[in-house]
Amino acid sequence: MAAITIDDDRLDATFAALANSTRRAILARLADGAATVNELAEPFDMQLPAVSKHIKVLERAGLVVRGQQAQYRPCALDPAPLEEISSWAEQYRPVWEARFDRMDDYLHQLRTQTRGEHE
Amino acid sequence: MTDTDNPLDAVVIERSFDAPVEQIWQMWTVPEHFQAWYGPTGASIPVAKMDVRVGGTRLICMEMHTPGGPMQMWFAGEYREVVENERLVYTEAISDEHGNPAAPSSTGLPEGHPVTEVRVELDAVDGRTRMTMTHVGIPSGSPGATGWTMALDKLATYVETGPGHER
Repeated sequence: MAAITIDDDRLDATFAALANSTRRAILARLADGAATVNELAEPFDMQLPAVSKHIKVLERAGLVVRGQQAQYRPCALDPAPLEEISSWAEQYRPVWEARFDRMDDYLHQLRTQTRGEHE
Repeated sequence: MTDTDNPLDAVVIERSFDAPVEQIWQMWTVPEHFQAWYGPTGASIPVAKMDVRVGGTRLICMEMHTPGGPMQMWFAGEYREVVENERLVYTEAISDEHGNPAAPSSTGLPEGHPVTEVRVELDAVDGRTRMTMTHVGIPSGSPGATGWTMALDKLATYVETGPGHER
């Protein structure tokens, strides 16, 4: 069995952070470039503290990093956890490859049996 | 295939089998055949219930043999698309033995842990079958699955372009 080196807790945090449309919208905005909390709050009908709370969730998941510049502390996207999601999906690849190898073997077995019955 | 058909969190496998599409379709839709190949090495599939029609449910039990004795895992889902010998789409999520989705607390997973979708496409090529299987992870109960894919596509582009492009 292939070694799985992915940190499950980290993945859980990433998926939990992504399972919210406001937070996905914030990430999509940040994919265009860094922004302040005020700028991020603009498109939403939401109080600043509510937006800050979403940003904190994204920060904890490692998807957003905050700058140190004075009181603005601009937010920027950190795509590293998203690369882990990609490898999360890739974990399934060897499982499926092995299954389809077995499907191939099984098909051969069925064909041999059928041939046997016709003899 | 374009990039938009291949979202970030999907596994796509293309295989060719020396068998007609009708037989490959049965591999996926007849429990007896499915049980023969689906289980990973060291595991068996003691239960495979399949109501193969759109909206029909499926329930699969995978039994692993561990030093501590057999360990069972159940997976439940629903058929989304059923076009005989051509296209099969179903969802899959960890469940209990009755097919009820496992509560996030019992699996230790948070809300929003993905339900996955398996898509199988079959093409007849000179009596053989070309099969494309796509296994996609999508967040559970998310009406915004499209938004999710769009956001991920955008982020994927960002990842490829690399950081350092921030303004």
